[in-house]
Amino acid sequence: MTGSETPAITCRNVWQVFGSNADSALKEALSRHETPEAAAQELRGKGLIPAVQDASFDVKEGELFVIMGLSGSGKSTLIRCISHLLHATGGEIRIDGENIVEASPKRLIELRRKKLGMVFQHFGLFPHMTVAENVAYPLRVQGVKKKQRLAKAQEVIELVGLGGREKNFPRELSGGQRQRVGIARSLVADCSVWFLDEPFSALDPLIRRQLQDEFLEIQAKLKTTIVFITHDINEALKLADRIAIMRDGKVVQIGTPADIVLRPVDDYVREFSKDVAKGQHAHVSSVMQPGEHHVYGADDPGLRQDMTLDAALARCMELYEPVPVRTDDGKLVGVVNPADLAAALQVEQG
Amino acid sequence: MAGLSKGSIAALIAAVVGALCLLLESSMPWLIKFPAAWVLPATDWVGAFMEWFLALIKPAARSFSALMFYPMEAANYVLSHTPWPLVICATTALAWTLGGVRMALMAVVGLGFVLASGYWPESMNTLALVAVSVPLALIIGGGIGILANEYPRVRQPVQAVLDIMQTVPTFAYLTPLLVLFGFGPVVGLIASAIYAAPPMARNVLLGLERVEPEIKEAAIMAGGTRLQQLFQCEIPSAGQQIMVGVNQCLMAALSMVIIAAVIGGFDDIGWEVLLTMRKAQFGQSLLAGLVIVIFAILIDRMSGTLTQDRRDQHDPRVAWGILALGVVVSAAFWGSVQQPGAYGLFNPVADSVDRGLSSFTSANAEALTALKNNVLFYVLLPMRIGLDQAVLPFTWGFAWTPMMSAALFAAGAAAGIVFALRGRMALGVMLLIAAGMLETGISQLPWPFVLVGAGALAWVAGGRGLAVLTVVLLGTILLSGLWERALLSLYLSGAAVFACALMGGAIGLASAVSPGVWRVVRPICDMLQTIPLFVFLIPVLMVFQIGEFSAFLAIIAYAIVPMIRYTRHGLVSTPDEMIEAATASGATTWQMLKDIRAPYAAPSILLGLNQTILYAFAMLVIAALIGTTGLGQSIYLALGQADVGLGISAGAAMAILALIADRMVQGFAEERRKALGL
Repeated sequence: MTGSETPAITCRNVWQVFGSNADSALKEALSRHETPEAAAQELRGKGLIPAVQDASFDVKEGELFVIMGLSGSGKSTLIRCISHLLHATGGEIRIDGENIVEASPKRLIELRRKKLGMVFQHFGLFPHMTVAENVAYPLRVQGVKKKQRLAKAQEVIELVGLGGREKNFPRELSGGQRQRVGIARSLVADCSVWFLDEPFSALDPLIRRQLQDEFLEIQAKLKTTIVFITHDINEALKLADRIAIMRDGKVVQIGTPADIVLRPVDDYVREFSKDVAKGQHAHVSSVMQPGEHHVYGADDPGLRQDMTLDAALARCMELYEPVPVRTDDGKLVGVVNPADLAAALQVEQG
Repeated sequence: MAGLSKGSIAALIAAVVGALCLLLESSMPWLIKFPAAWVLPATDWVGAFMEWFLALIKPAARSFSALMFYPMEAANYVLSHTPWPLVICATTALAWTLGGVRMALMAVVGLGFVLASGYWPESMNTLALVAVSVPLALIIGGGIGILANEYPRVRQPVQAVLDIMQTVPTFAYLTPLLVLFGFGPVVGLIASAIYAAPPMARNVLLGLERVEPEIKEAAIMAGGTRLQQLFQCEIPSAGQQIMVGVNQCLMAALSMVIIAAVIGGFDDIGWEVLLTMRKAQFGQSLLAGLVIVIFAILIDRMSGTLTQDRRDQHDPRVAWGILALGVVVSAAFWGSVQQPGAYGLFNPVADSVDRGLSSFTSANAEALTALKNNVLFYVLLPMRIGLDQAVLPFTWGFAWTPMMSAALFAAGAAAGIVFALRGRMALGVMLLIAAGMLETGISQLPWPFVLVGAGALAWVAGGRGLAVLTVVLLGTILLSGLWERALLSLYLSGAAVFACALMGGAIGLASAVSPGVWRVVRPICDMLQTIPLFVFLIPVLMVFQIGEFSAFLAIIAYAIVPMIRYTRHGLVSTPDEMIEAATASGATTWQMLKDIRAPYAAPSILLGLNQTILYAFAMLVIAALIGTTGLGQSIYLALGQADVGLGISAGAAMAILALIADRMVQGFAEERRKALGL
């Protein structure tokens, strides 16, 4: 996070309503009702479908923002609003401060060429183009010379580990390889905002984990702003800086992975995190309290604030007093009560 | 009427109206025969309007015709002046590139046969027409498909127009075109372009609609302009479907070019068939027909390879080699390759076919006549004029009496009551109606009964909208004075469809049960579907001469294929899980067929029936050439007299019948699909 003033993406009261005359119906409903719930209720009563209701959030530059929800929760619709594959019915969506809901078609093409990249669940590869041609396509539409664009494509193909497959057609590749092509294609034009719509959902679990790890490596290298869609809570927790959970078109909670796991706002979110091994996702900092400087001797378990709960608990199984928590360079930042560690892990059992 | 199903209500209404008509027949004869005084001179009005309209656009049409003359002449000149070794080698080289050794061999043998038959110049004339009309059709059809895809608002109307164009019989196009463009090959050219464009448009639209949404989105996100998205991503992604369109377009163009020979003026292969048929030189006629079949198969198979998913690559050097061979041979034997029409290697064969045929027909005259008469007297005639008039001492050995009618109705009613008591009300009432129709005959059905019955059926199939549409459209036919001819057409195509449904269903079932049967049936189906309509007339004419029975056979031969294909496909495509579940429940093969496969196949079989009906109507008009009554004959007559009014009205009536049948069956199929959750 570079600490710049404007967020990379801002969504304010974004609505996407499907049905006839959605625009005017939404305006009318919003003017008549105080709460978005009531407005959505009215729209549904008229036979319209409010797929995204009043979504508001910011994504900071370089942040990996995951939108999570079950199918039909509106997450794919929301990402399509942000990437303007769908024209949002209401609200404001700013990318680097520019409201793209009102952008002209020409400006949108420009934005997509220079700034935005997208990866699709079912890859969306062009069946008539080879791997190299697929990857180079975003450069081709910009009029980049063939030699240049193929050279650039080659770089990205190497980056995603597909070297040697350039001349293959998509149908000759496995699912994992196809998605690597999709990823390469979305990266070839050096985007600064990267949309990934359930990129790993269509893959089998082993390949999925492998690609997730590689994805994190690529992200560490490129540091682009990312909006990532998934229906898999484990994937969300593993990848996200922050997670937005959607249900029935509404964003019900936005928070860090630890927030989601340890402080779910309602039963719906709690239900999600039930099966999650919390100890592996929540960090000590989430249960840490500002504390006095206790003097600890040889039995200082040496807790760090970015340790997972599991690891921390393993170190202080036999301790009952609050223990100090330090940063990586040894600075004391707070204390944690071993009992809180255990309790945090057992929220659900009660 | 609470508690009755929609079907039962509809059947009851139809039965009541039918019964009333029968009862009041004597006191109110206008119930049976629509009074001529009520008929509006719609045919004349249409004629007058069309003549005015055609006169209006005639200058434009004539200049277009003059314009088309040049490319046509050019194509003709090139094809007929290119030495035949070069044409054969070029085709073979193309065939090699498309499909390898097998395809190349097919091209050599096929064209070799054409050359040896002596019909080479005529074939080249036909090909020249196809070569000009197909690009025209591809451009028009592709353009329409793309536009309909770009502007969703016009998609519905475009699809409706394409539907109608597909149901309007081929001959009906010809009459107004004849008036517009004058006699000559240009009419055939334009008719074939018009006829071949819709399949292209349909497939382009279908292909574009079926492009995965994510591929479209990927093209958008890459930053392509709309044109870049369309031409660089969407159209190439839809390539296979578009190639299906190209294949269908080629076949339709060839078929129409050959049909257009009816108007004459061009020395092509279709004309040759017609001429020899008229002179009763069936051997020659068959030979010319075979030439057409060869072209159809070559064009179909060669363009068919384009629709395949993964094509093998074939060494282009071989193709160049073959082409070079053609050039060398043409140059070396320049003097002797200039008369490709002179080869008549098969003339003796044709003659002996003629002789053999006449000896065969005279030797088996009794059996053939018996077959023909049996079908005519015991099946076709009763369906046409009813048992009350068809049963005569001369044919059936006894005279029909009112008592017999009463007995028939009583039997129908008794069976109906049995079914009704078993809870199958609709079926019971329909049995009664069937008895009534059998007694009266299709061509003499009282018009109120037809209107109400068709309306009721449409109501069951597709709701109130379809019912209103059906009644209004049928009412138009009634008022236009084409009613009796329409009923005659309905009877003949109905009889043929019925026969197709029975036989095609049985063959489809056999093919589904036994792969061995399918191995035999499949190539025959492929063959029958490739042959242009026109050629079906030759063999039936050879054996059974001109008449309704020949037409009946020709229609069956053409229309049975979809019934077979769809029945088999529906029966074999039951999901494995369902089969396994049934097996695990202990179902026998027969139970599996009856309880699992058949219900699952119902929508598919209904679609097959739908295709069969449309095919039957299409063939009905062509069969007018060899003697049918009804609308087909009117259309054909109109063509001969350049009577635009009659041609268009009769063509429209025909299209109306086809459209109604199509919508109804589609409605039933849709309902079944929904019931199965497909």
